[in-house]
Amino acid sequence: MVDAFAYVPAIVLLPFFSFLVALGAGKYLPKGGAFGGIAATAGSFLLSLWVAATVLGGRTYNETIYTWAGGDQFELTFGLLIDPLSALMLVIVTLIALLVHVFSLGYMNDEGETGLPRYYAGLGLFTASMLGFVVADNLLMAFMFFELVGLCSYLLIGFHFRQPGPPSAAKKAFLVTRFGDYFFLVGLVAVFATFGTAQFAGPESFPALAEQALNGSFDAWTPLGLGVEQWFTIVGLLVLGGAVGKSAQFPLHTWLPDAMEGPTPVSALIHAATMVAAGVYLVARMFGFYALTPTTLAIIAFVGGFTALFAATMGVVKEELKQVLAYSTISQYGYMMLALGAGSYVAATFHLLTHAFFKALLFLGAGAVIIAMHHNENMWDMGGLKSKMPVTYWTFLAGSLALAGIFPFSGFWSKDEILYEAFIHGLSDPLLLGGWIMGLLAVPVTAFYTFRMVFLTFHGEPRSETARDPHAVRWNVKGPLTVLGSLAVVAGFVNMVPVQKLLGIEGIDFLTQWLDNDFGGIDGVSYSHYNDLLATYAGYEAGEIAGSAETTLIVAAGLSLGLAVLGVLVAWKLYDVPEPTEHTAKLGGAKDVLYNNYYQDEVQVWLAYRTEDVAGGADTFDQGIIDGVVNGISSVSLAVGDRVRRIQTGVVSQYAAMLTLGLVVLILVLGVTGGWFL
Amino acid sequence: MVEQLPEWAALAPALTLAFTGLALLLVDTIRPEARSNTSMAVTSALGALASLGFTVWFVVAGTGHADTGGAIYLFADAIKVDTMALFFTAIFASVTALVVVAAHDYFHDHESPAEFYSLVMFAATGMSLLAVANSLAIVFVALEMASLPSYALVAFLKRDRGSVEAGLKYFLVGAVSSAIFVFGISLVYAATGSLILGDVAEGIANLDGLTGVAGLGIVMMIGGVAFKTASVPFHFWAPEAYEGAPAPVSAFLSSASKAAGFVVAFRVFTEAFPVGASLSAGIDWVLAFGILAVVTMTLGNFAAVVQPNVKRMLAYSSVGHAGYALIGLAALSAGSAGNSSVMGAAMAHLLVYGFMNTGAFLFVAMAERWGVGRTFEDYAGLAKRAPIACTAMAVFMFSLAGLPPFAGFFSKYFLFMGAIDNGFVWLAAIGAINSVISLYYYSRVVKAMFLDDPSTPTALDTLDVKPTALYAAVVFAAVGTVLLLPGFGPVIETAEAAASALF
Repeated sequence: MVDAFAYVPAIVLLPFFSFLVALGAGKYLPKGGAFGGIAATAGSFLLSLWVAATVLGGRTYNETIYTWAGGDQFELTFGLLIDPLSALMLVIVTLIALLVHVFSLGYMNDEGETGLPRYYAGLGLFTASMLGFVVADNLLMAFMFFELVGLCSYLLIGFHFRQPGPPSAAKKAFLVTRFGDYFFLVGLVAVFATFGTAQFAGPESFPALAEQALNGSFDAWTPLGLGVEQWFTIVGLLVLGGAVGKSAQFPLHTWLPDAMEGPTPVSALIHAATMVAAGVYLVARMFGFYALTPTTLAIIAFVGGFTALFAATMGVVKEELKQVLAYSTISQYGYMMLALGAGSYVAATFHLLTHAFFKALLFLGAGAVIIAMHHNENMWDMGGLKSKMPVTYWTFLAGSLALAGIFPFSGFWSKDEILYEAFIHGLSDPLLLGGWIMGLLAVPVTAFYTFRMVFLTFHGEPRSETARDPHAVRWNVKGPLTVLGSLAVVAGFVNMVPVQKLLGIEGIDFLTQWLDNDFGGIDGVSYSHYNDLLATYAGYEAGEIAGSAETTLIVAAGLSLGLAVLGVLVAWKLYDVPEPTEHTAKLGGAKDVLYNNYYQDEVQVWLAYRTEDVAGGADTFDQGIIDGVVNGISSVSLAVGDRVRRIQTGVVSQYAAMLTLGLVVLILVLGVTGGWFL
Repeated sequence: MVEQLPEWAALAPALTLAFTGLALLLVDTIRPEARSNTSMAVTSALGALASLGFTVWFVVAGTGHADTGGAIYLFADAIKVDTMALFFTAIFASVTALVVVAAHDYFHDHESPAEFYSLVMFAATGMSLLAVANSLAIVFVALEMASLPSYALVAFLKRDRGSVEAGLKYFLVGAVSSAIFVFGISLVYAATGSLILGDVAEGIANLDGLTGVAGLGIVMMIGGVAFKTASVPFHFWAPEAYEGAPAPVSAFLSSASKAAGFVVAFRVFTEAFPVGASLSAGIDWVLAFGILAVVTMTLGNFAAVVQPNVKRMLAYSSVGHAGYALIGLAALSAGSAGNSSVMGAAMAHLLVYGFMNTGAFLFVAMAERWGVGRTFEDYAGLAKRAPIACTAMAVFMFSLAGLPPFAGFFSKYFLFMGAIDNGFVWLAAIGAINSVISLYYYSRVVKAMFLDDPSTPTALDTLDVKPTALYAAVVFAAVGTVLLLPGFGPVIETAEAAASALF
């Protein structure tokens, strides 16, 4: 019998080969290597489906395949972990990557871009890195691929390197996420030092050992005499640093809007399936560890909720299509973090899934609009595109409804579950409740900016020449849009938990069962195990209002749906008119604050300058003291060397003399210490 | 069980070298018209490789190993074949093979190259005899047997003043050193009444008031060893001989001849003058080697820093490496379990050194063959014309400096770790500081070759000459240096096993 798991490495390697092919031979290939990329990602997608089907059949895989450094304390390995979570993620990533490759034919090739081999090589490596990250069975391997993902984002965001914006944005993305990764790296070392292993799953994995350490049955190393709880919290927060950077959570979110300088299909890949998803996936992957540290969870939830609201408000005033989407991504990943913090591993994964589809859809839709508008992204120059590009319009609308969280589109189900989970657990925890309130407030804002975008782009009268006569798009744009549009509508039905609870229809919570190892999985990596951990170690308990779980459910769902509809209605009132005008003046002083993104960039620049001052001091120290010493040593070395050289006079009789003298000295030293002459 | 070879067959590596040398001499004498540079080079290379093949076979088969009946003694205990002897013979044979192949191109227009090949083979025979010597008499005879052809080899370019002068200086310093060495042997004999190493050790344990005589003898023997290994203060011949000699000869002397000095030192000082017995007798030769190690590596490296001439820089670097290898003797302590690891590491370092240092000198030989000059400036921009050879040279330089991921890093790492484990942190620290200094002058070569532009555009036109055999030797040495990285595990294990048999 052919084993699907034997082909898991191929899932990662296929896009890697397409990277090599595009890099090495791209310029000799038709379409700059695009077909190689499409074939590779299609192959990976099919293999991922097969792997997912195998997992559905009840089998999992958790093996080390290569030990590249071994020691007494621990081993550094590469391995594969295929469980329901990673199998699901494989399917998402490969599907989005495949569609992005197809879409790129329309966005890059048809638009006559240059440097296509470089582009497709980047896409291939990006996909391969993310897939390697997804299948990693230990934190170190995950970190390495995490860094590769960061590198690829740098390469792709800076694709148009001759313009001033993209290289700068690429550097910013790289540096800001690296800032988070430093914490991740320290956390990684801490995990090794504490547990001697960085495996994600299995009885010898670090989440399992952490649990035993809290039980007292495993003796974990801690520094400075810290208690294990405090130390685990610190380790959790350190690793979280990487996730905050990559998933663009406050305060490391500033790179993401700038990253819009990259080609739009790359944005779709970054936002939906690869880079930004990596952070949330990392937390979900090691959720068994986070479930043990309530402080970390509360911080995750609060940061997530805050980011959700904060980013949504900034999205309200943006004029460029992709900018709105960028802020919405930050906001939506905030929701996922909120879900993780609230202990709902399933809700976070669910939103990751639905968001991957609708956000990829929205970005590709935006890409289609940008093609049509000859690369003008300003929404105030658009309008009336609805009739000119119906496929794009309808799919974009489906994605927008999902993003806004309107029933029954996919985003509604996942967002509702997040808010519900945050609410019931928040009733006993004020920090969580704070996260929930911010998450809830973000709902109408999200709906508002989403539909402001839709109305400004597609409705009303065309406001420019290009909008009156847009560029046509071909099948390679419409195809991916159609696929994703359908998924954005239906993806929510995989986990209709509220309906199950209210109507008592069993078996419509497929995703929950899937992640709860109902079809088979690895012990210790399941939703119910995490719930046990949360209840035991984090003291999480589900509260309810009015003494009834059903009432709680209806109130929570009704509240979020009502607020979403309210947001849509306001946007409709203000912007669905033939000649919409800017209403930002009504915001008064808040307008400038929002336009300038709460002066976040300014704060970071200020911080960077202060860091530079410190660095300047260090530099003076380095130049003056350290280099001074080094230069001193080297000039002393040279001077001494010069003296030493002069010993070599070239006269043999002097050599014989010095040789004998040296021997006599040696005899004297040994003779005196050994007492030969007594 | 296969039939056991006769015991004298354990000398096959040395005998092969000797017979190859004799055969070359014979052909050269009887039918001078039949000799050709190529056939001579091929014959000697085959001889050296056969010798290498024997040693590798014996090491793998466990000849002289404790598991297969222990060391093989021959000729009334005057000869002792054990793993260490085979290990060092492998170094000599490898270096010899590289050198004779390279010499084929280097001496392409020499009138009588045959003498060169036979001299190299005889010197190698002497070295392999040194590795198996178990009596001080044999040690002296073998030392002279290795040295006398070396003097002639240094002066091989008879019409070159530098070569002749270097040969003479080498000979004079060598004569003084040999006198000191043989005087030391006679004093040791006077104090202990034996020349067989094992019996000398017993004598050292019961000196009966002859400590001063024995001590004087031992220090004088240290002098002889220091001459052969080019350690301070017996190093004076080295920079001049290495610089003046034909570059393949420099490679041979600085790698094989140095290793020969170390094999004698390792064997004689551990077997004839055991650390514990010597210490309790009041003869702290470990301290003497400690002083020599520090002075040698410091002087070698500091002098190398200021050399404008690459070959001379390599000569001083070779002195510095003798200092590192001396740690193998300087970091011993009585009865310590770590003795065999530090000495084994020194042996492994000498093996790695055999490849990287020979390769570096052969690159210089190639530069001389091209006629590009000898200074760092003359090497500027070479990489553009000869990328493969320059990459190989960069590998040698970084490996000599002890940078990962090259074999030189691992051997030095094990050496310093062995010293630290044995309680000689200061030695390791001084070694590490010296390694940092050495990085300066090694990287200068790489910088010149890869980053600098040639002084004149036509400076490198002489590179049109393609010395195939030299190229092959350099590349092979580079491959050896790189392959010793994955192969370092077996090497260090063999070396440590060889060393542990000595304690």
